[in-house]
Amino acid sequence: MNIDFDVKGLNFYYPGGHHSLKNINLQVYKHSITALIGPSGCGKTTLLRCFNRMHDLYPGNRYEGEILFEGRNILTQGVDLISLRSRIGMVFQKPTPFPMTIFDNIAYGLKLRGVKKRGLLSEKVEHALIQAALWNEVKDKLHQSAYALSGGQQQRLVIARALAVEPEAILFDEPTSALDPISTAKIEELVEELKKDVTILIVTHNLQQAARVSEWTGFLMLGELVEFEKTEQMFTSPREKLTEDYITGRFG
Amino acid sequence: MSERTRKIESALALVLSTVAALVGLFWLVFILGDLIMKGASALTPSLFLHNPTPEGVEGGGLKNAFVGQGLITLFATLFGVPIGLLGGTFLAEYAGHGKVTRTISALSDIMISVPTMVVGTFIYAVMVKPLGHFSGWAGSVALAVVMVPVVLRTTENMLRLVPWTLREAAFALGAPKYKVITQVVYRGAITGIFTGVLLSIARVAGETAPLLFTSFSNNFFSTDMKGPVASLTVTIFQYAMGPYDDWHQQAWAAALVITLFILVITIVGRIFIKLRYGNK
Repeated sequence: MNIDFDVKGLNFYYPGGHHSLKNINLQVYKHSITALIGPSGCGKTTLLRCFNRMHDLYPGNRYEGEILFEGRNILTQGVDLISLRSRIGMVFQKPTPFPMTIFDNIAYGLKLRGVKKRGLLSEKVEHALIQAALWNEVKDKLHQSAYALSGGQQQRLVIARALAVEPEAILFDEPTSALDPISTAKIEELVEELKKDVTILIVTHNLQQAARVSEWTGFLMLGELVEFEKTEQMFTSPREKLTEDYITGRFG
Repeated sequence: MSERTRKIESALALVLSTVAALVGLFWLVFILGDLIMKGASALTPSLFLHNPTPEGVEGGGLKNAFVGQGLITLFATLFGVPIGLLGGTFLAEYAGHGKVTRTISALSDIMISVPTMVVGTFIYAVMVKPLGHFSGWAGSVALAVVMVPVVLRTTENMLRLVPWTLREAAFALGAPKYKVITQVVYRGAITGIFTGVLLSIARVAGETAPLLFTSFSNNFFSTDMKGPVASLTVTIFQYAMGPYDDWHQQAWAAALVITLFILVITIVGRIFIKLRYGNK
């Protein structure tokens, strides 16, 4: 299996020197689903946001160590964040449709990359919506505001928006925590479907979700990666006592 | 607290707030009604089509003041709105939450409540006096100075209301910062910003004090912004103080027109927003 991301000795500091990630080492395999689990404040979202350098939006954050993406360290100064982020998409906890039509939402990333031809845009928008299993629900109202959609539909719209630019990986930050069970099931199904085309990293609060969708799982606590293992392995016979306590619900 | 007192308090609050609303509404309707009754009769085509007749001669209109007011307000908007928009954008998107931001915001708030007369005399000192004469430009600049803080603060506040996650989502797609602001954040805040711009236009359209010392007045038709230009508000002031009945009539009519103008820009703005973002 090919390694897509190779995290080596990653440390992360928030402003004021708060040491939030401590010496993280893990590999994310190409076209696999890797889940990050752990109690609140353990650093799983912080870790996820290192992969597309989201922390750079705010002053005073500092990385140490390496994340190799296709062999190149993406944490160095010279990395072009705009092109990095166009190769690694992100889906947030709450749906984030832009205040524009459904079509324009999906087309946004494409337009950023200079796609202007109406025909090509329509084609790609349709393809992305089909991939995100939303096409049948919205094909007759592409030119209505994205805010008219339900929360679950908005989340799939956002996934379609990320897919439209054909990224190599997508980072999911608790994508279903604001959704009802039916929408959650749809998103999970979708995520599993997507790994054909993209590498997926997913942060989740929901252990069952991690067990259902992922192939690899990382368990973080207090900024440390306690265990990183095949999901099956981790949920049946974890190596660490701490992991076992967490997944059997003794804390967290 | 017992249920009884809670219900009484609730009823009391309802009564008080209803009374307060009715008191406000009463004066509004009273003023508008008075304005329509007294102004409508002088609202003839000749008010718009003719210039004032010499003092004491019956007839004539206020064409000069309408055109002058339009010019002064138009240029004030062209000067003031871009500065306010860019300033508000700077504060909300670039300046962070530091001292600079807080100082500029606080100064803008003070500027909003500064008597506009002060602005008028200030522009008199820096533009009219050095140049040696009243001018339409000075009037526009004075009104623009009144507009800037209003537009700046509404823009800043409206931009701050746009959730951070929306910006992050745009950044996560690989958008550069200026595109995040112009294509995503502005769209999210457009209704509020547009309302702020309209309010600022409405605010200066009714201003007299900043114009008294700047564009002054002109009894003749003039579109030369380098010289004194007539404005409706200053004309209303002069005519209302004047001794002639038909002046009073025309002042009422002019006041009605300004009020209707402000009403119309507000309604047009709302319609525009509805058409553009109706589904939101």
